[in-house]
Amino acid sequence: MSRRFLTAEDIARTNDSEIVVDAQTLVTPQAEEAARSRGIAIRTSSGPYVPPAPDRGPDAATAQEHRRLMPEPIDTAAKNTAIVTAVGKNKPGVLAALTKEIAELGGNLEDISQKVIGDYFHIILTVRMDGVPFGELHERMVCMSCPDELAVSVMNERAFRFMHRV
Amino acid sequence: MTFSDREILETIRMVELETLDIRTTTLGLSLFDCADPDLESACEKVYAKIVHQANDLVRVAESISADYGVPIVNKRIAVTPISWVAAASGADDLTPFARALDAAAAECGIDYIGGFTAYVDKGYTNSDRALVDSIPKALEETERVCASVALASTRSGIHMDAVVRFSEIIKDTAERTAENGGFGCAKLVCFCNPVPDNPFIAGAHLSVGEPESVINVGVSGPGVVRGALARLPEEADLLAVAEEVKRTSFKITRMGELVGREAAKRLGTSFGIVDISLAPTPAEGDSISDILEIIGIDRTGSPGTTAALALLTDAVKKGGAMASSSVGGLSGAFIPVSEDAGMIAAAREGILSLAKLEAMTSVCSVGMDMIAVPGDTPASTLAGLIADEMAIGMMNHKTTAVRVIPVPGKGVGEVVEWGGLLGTAVVQDPGRYGCKVFAGRGGRIPAPLQGYRN
Repeated sequence: MSRRFLTAEDIARTNDSEIVVDAQTLVTPQAEEAARSRGIAIRTSSGPYVPPAPDRGPDAATAQEHRRLMPEPIDTAAKNTAIVTAVGKNKPGVLAALTKEIAELGGNLEDISQKVIGDYFHIILTVRMDGVPFGELHERMVCMSCPDELAVSVMNERAFRFMHRV
Repeated sequence: MTFSDREILETIRMVELETLDIRTTTLGLSLFDCADPDLESACEKVYAKIVHQANDLVRVAESISADYGVPIVNKRIAVTPISWVAAASGADDLTPFARALDAAAAECGIDYIGGFTAYVDKGYTNSDRALVDSIPKALEETERVCASVALASTRSGIHMDAVVRFSEIIKDTAERTAENGGFGCAKLVCFCNPVPDNPFIAGAHLSVGEPESVINVGVSGPGVVRGALARLPEEADLLAVAEEVKRTSFKITRMGELVGREAAKRLGTSFGIVDISLAPTPAEGDSISDILEIIGIDRTGSPGTTAALALLTDAVKKGGAMASSSVGGLSGAFIPVSEDAGMIAAAREGILSLAKLEAMTSVCSVGMDMIAVPGDTPASTLAGLIADEMAIGMMNHKTTAVRVIPVPGKGVGEVVEWGGLLGTAVVQDPGRYGCKVFAGRGGRIPAPLQGYRN
């Protein structure tokens, strides 16, 4: 019988030594425990039971399909880049330190903008991300931040694209 | 063309200095298939389904945050109103469902889960009544569960018997959590015209007509709107103010649209709505009150406040509507008193009265939110306060809500500290007179003519 759940109550009701469930059936933790304690095997018709992938419902599959065709804000030049910004007290070597980290990860600098105002500077780096793990870049860059001295932030260009392009 | 420095720095400023964030990514889950004549089995299914569906939510939200550099503050779950799921069990005490929700949320690393909910705007089913009666115990025994009850709608009118019962439930909940300043009531809200896809706690739940599972995103940014208006010259007229709010709201909502699309993609589910609600926090500058004062109101609560709030709510909605085809939920401006530093100050100084707050709720996106009143306020007076708020929603085709905390042992003017996002409240004066006879009549306030739209 096809069922969505197998509960401890279902285990209590059976006299068999095994229960065959549908591949989509979700066995509750209590049912697993009850089956274990009574030595009842739970399996599917094709083999041992493994929890199914979450069933997100009938809309989920079509939603994935439709999402592909959803218009995205366009900025072809920015595509697949990360924007690194650094603001802080001006001292020699800051730009070199930032670009060194980026180079080590294999990121390619597409654009640099730097301004110094009094003792402070801001740097904006556009980094081409082909093959560069964003998460790692983000972590390494943000680690360079230092209270009262330097604040580094990294954002995916897609965030800027959504905000500033239609 | 790539982005200009001005564009880049504007976004960075919003995130780093003006606390722009994705306030919540909320996974809505249908629990209809968890109904079972056996109470324990039903609770087992509820727990198993939530954990099975949502155990990836925190990881996915954090991965989006890391991959895009966009802060996502909360991850939450909203489920089918439990009174519907529990009906088949025939149980009188539905606290076990609350415990199952609580345990599932804890297992998924979620701080709040919404959906201990009933719709009783016209009448009770047996299960609705059981749920309402179970609320005080459920909120006392659980940490993460939030309860909500629909007491009124434009279509059905106001179910006064339920309003009165709900007021008693509030009192009971406050007493049971007295050692925490009646904190249980902060997880309890009633509605007129609730939205089916609200991602924000405490009213989050997933109503009928919604998919099996869905990602709804709540995006917030009072600090960003405040910053934008502060940069506007004082002589700018109100059209310019509205325009600035609209443009800012557009940009904030785009961030929500991005995160919603991405979260749905990564979880393999549908993207429901972006709720663009300016939701204050006690943090400096993250305040709706500050925005109203920058628009030009002397202090929040003084004359002009309602008009300024109307402008704000409307402009937020308009900017949001242009930014996403999926704007929904409550969308507008929240005015939870205890969570907004400016409102706390205005309430403390007696500038922001309950009467003015009620007027403001006719144009804000929700209602009387996070209001503290004396612990000895009679239930009939609370019922009057709730009925007034429901009436505003019913007559104006809008969502209104009441989240009121009768703080045990505290009187008017005293302060109660809940801490965290819930902030600090000053106990406000509901007035000397109530509506004992009116509330005692019970029955139903019939639906208004506005409800008959066919």
